[in-house]
Amino acid sequence: MKKRKRLHLKTILIKNQYPILMTKVDINITVGGPQGGGIDTSSNMISRAFAQSGYFVFGVREYHSNIKGRHSYTHVRIKDERPRSLKYPIDFLVALDPDSIFEHLEDVGHGTKIIYDSAIEKAELSQARMIMKDTALKIKETLTEESYPNTISGAIAWMKSRGAIPIAVPFTSVVQQAISGGVPSRYFNTLGAALTLAISGVNIKHMNESIRLVFSGKDKIIEENIAVVKAAYDYCSQNKLASETLPDIDHPKRYMLTGNDGAAIGKMMGGLRFQTYYPITPASDESTIMEEHNYIRWVDSEASKLKEAGIVVVQTEDEISAITMAIGAALTGTRTATATSGPGFSLMAEGFSFAGTDEVPLVVTLYQRGGPSTGLPTRNGQSDLLFAMNTGHGEFPRIVMSSGDVEECIYDSMKALNYAQRYQMPIIHLIDKNLANTSDFISGIDGKKVPVNATKFEVHGLNFKRYDLNTKNGISNLGAFGKDIFWMTGDEHDELGHVTEDSDVRDRMMVKRFTKLETADSEIPLEDKAILYGDKNAEVTFVTWGSQKGPILDVIDLLAEEGIKANLLYVKMFIPFPTKFVTDILSKAKIVIDVESNFLGQLAEVIMGKTGIKIENRILKYNGRHMTEDEILSASREIINNKEKKVEKVLKHGA
Amino acid sequence: MAHNFKTDVTVDWCPGCGDFGILTSIQQSMAELNIDPLGVVMVSGIGCSGKTPHYINVGGIHTLHGRSIPFATGVKLSNPNLKVVVTGGDGDLMGIGVGHLVAEGRRNSGLTIMIYDNEVYGLTKGQAAPTMPLEQKTKSLSRPNIFTRLNPIALALSSGYSFVARGFSFDMKQLKEIIKKAMNHPGSAVIDILQPCPTYNNINTMEWYKERVYKLEDDKNWNPLVSKENIADADSIFAMSMARAQEWGDKIPTGIFYRNTALDPFPVRISKNVPNYFETVPAEQRISSADGYTVVDAEKTFEDRLIG
Repeated sequence: MKKRKRLHLKTILIKNQYPILMTKVDINITVGGPQGGGIDTSSNMISRAFAQSGYFVFGVREYHSNIKGRHSYTHVRIKDERPRSLKYPIDFLVALDPDSIFEHLEDVGHGTKIIYDSAIEKAELSQARMIMKDTALKIKETLTEESYPNTISGAIAWMKSRGAIPIAVPFTSVVQQAISGGVPSRYFNTLGAALTLAISGVNIKHMNESIRLVFSGKDKIIEENIAVVKAAYDYCSQNKLASETLPDIDHPKRYMLTGNDGAAIGKMMGGLRFQTYYPITPASDESTIMEEHNYIRWVDSEASKLKEAGIVVVQTEDEISAITMAIGAALTGTRTATATSGPGFSLMAEGFSFAGTDEVPLVVTLYQRGGPSTGLPTRNGQSDLLFAMNTGHGEFPRIVMSSGDVEECIYDSMKALNYAQRYQMPIIHLIDKNLANTSDFISGIDGKKVPVNATKFEVHGLNFKRYDLNTKNGISNLGAFGKDIFWMTGDEHDELGHVTEDSDVRDRMMVKRFTKLETADSEIPLEDKAILYGDKNAEVTFVTWGSQKGPILDVIDLLAEEGIKANLLYVKMFIPFPTKFVTDILSKAKIVIDVESNFLGQLAEVIMGKTGIKIENRILKYNGRHMTEDEILSASREIINNKEKKVEKVLKHGA
Repeated sequence: MAHNFKTDVTVDWCPGCGDFGILTSIQQSMAELNIDPLGVVMVSGIGCSGKTPHYINVGGIHTLHGRSIPFATGVKLSNPNLKVVVTGGDGDLMGIGVGHLVAEGRRNSGLTIMIYDNEVYGLTKGQAAPTMPLEQKTKSLSRPNIFTRLNPIALALSSGYSFVARGFSFDMKQLKEIIKKAMNHPGSAVIDILQPCPTYNNINTMEWYKERVYKLEDDKNWNPLVSKENIADADSIFAMSMARAQEWGDKIPTGIFYRNTALDPFPVRISKNVPNYFETVPAEQRISSADGYTVVDAEKTFEDRLIG
């Protein structure tokens, strides 16, 4: 069924001048270079140029905790349909420095084109001081084991022995053909992008358009970069490197968004008007993106009725301040959130507990990176699920939810703000670093997909019982400072909000607060808690959460081609937990494989606790790198083919 | 009928506690300023001082130990029309919460911050607080204090507060006037309030303070105001205030040490980045359309992400 649909799409999408069905485009490119060396710009140019010609680009950014010098790279995948994952081996390795050759040795395979500066061939591994010592040692062993010299030439030869195709380009002289004077290395990022595009057959006009967009408003820079692009394309055609021109395909308008963008957009659409943050990777981008876009544009139907307005984003002195300031703002009726990552959320625990007992509508967007402690500050992880479910002292209700792709980041952020106000409790919205830094093409942002259920704040008058115990669903009227007089305290409190240590009121308040969670469980639709992708009757059932969703869906398609029917139980909400749904699926499933980016298999632990079902097979990865289609596929095959009951595969790949 | 700023919650401070004088001064200030009770929010931390909001009939948040300032800042910045008053102890605001006290000086959001300064942690049985001098041994300490004394006035001045004062809980007339001025001051104010803890501090008693305090305003030439008009003298005025802040011991100055109306409060700084911030404060923004959907056009707001 799916296949047929795909063919249908292709026939209508291809422009008239290309009436034939083309071969499926699927290109994986890694652009690597020193941090601060324009890697982002380079991959942005590549993404935009492919976008201009109609393709979909999906990418992830990897970087060190460092400002300048250490190795960083982006890995993008280009397809004629929207990609959902990345794949190794890559088709292009664009190395803007020697480190990028050494670091990505194992990412190449048969047919990988390695574009690099011929001037670096003599560079030695021992001089690549920005490569982490342990990594350098590993590279040294790899090369030495097969008697290759510890130089770029040696590394290139090693990769060539695996079928890679080295393309040495004299970077400096190509740049100098385009530009006289200046520092040629400044243009290496543009050159690398242009060579890649020329070799993969992207029309030069798209690259030039991409340059105009990336450097918009800087005419001289545009002119220089376009000259470099021309030199790169000329070089490729003179040296017979250029491929046939890729056909343009028709496409809808699209937005290139990261997970950070998605969360910022969703929050703004969801009515957020106050956000606090303390700088931390990979969360702060969300807040700065919001700040950059804080002049809200209204929908047409409201533009004449609403005054120009914006979002207040406050950088605080620490995360304790970030959460408590957000709580303070929520108490005036403002939709409020904070965004942080593991170490920051640890500091927020006490404030979070206050929000729980005082029934504060508050959203915490919790970006997960590799822990514990500072851990792997710029790398991926999913090790904060159990922490999020248990943050703070005492017992209080909360909602814990997560997103698995950029679109979900948008709409889940809106839902989180709705839940916070409806159920008057703190919400944790988990996004993993891999998703935060994933860039994806979204065709349109739908303002009607999720309603904004704004609370109507009224003046309640004298003796307003903010914590009225006389409710069926546990939800009493939300008050707002400025409109109502009421009190709040971290102590147990009475209906007015004053301190009490009365044993009966204590019991009733505990019950009231937890009743809200039952209400939430009964009102939140199942599809916001868990989704079963694929056929109900499958031989293999994957279980996952967060950003492995995309790669697993790709793996399911690939397994289907091998005749293996697989499905995915994708969990989005952990409190309240869809116990019945998960039990129903897992109790009938045949081979179950839990896939998570952590050591313990935290979702599997939650499932065990909630349903009593133990998932024996696990694919785990905790080296801080994202999971790719190929490694999940091969680990799955091993599990499926293994007759033993319990198989745990730890994935290791990633520079 | 005038609003009664008292609640019927029983005040459970010890007899003779300095907190009573502070509470009465706050209530009288609000009454004399004819403040709209819906337009003011009291925020406190943990400790005896933390109970204050429960006794005042305006919105009140009794928060976490040391965190009253960021809570209060959130209230203020999401609705800058509100007056926000912080009450906290010396341990609360200058021990566990001192980072926030300093940060708020840099913001100048428009909070009135009152430090209940009795040199001890009363509610936990009299441990030394940051304002207790070195070597002082109050009755509940097993050994003399081995920390040096933090100077609240000097700290507030160096943090950037645009209104810095000291009151004495047994001079309610002066304290009330300081609170009124602080509440009408556009930026953030710190009022260090000397007060005895009759239960745990047997040294800094009411009598001890009474023998030492004098009023800055008794000197007719004392004028610590920096305004747009005399901005050229800002440095010398600040230096004069800082010099006075060093006085402690036999003579302890009370009154207003420093006032600066030339410095933009934080909300004014925000309004330069956020359109119509004061006209449509965040708390009052309409966030959904009549049919219950977002009013934000995300595609237009994020037009720069359109890739073609």
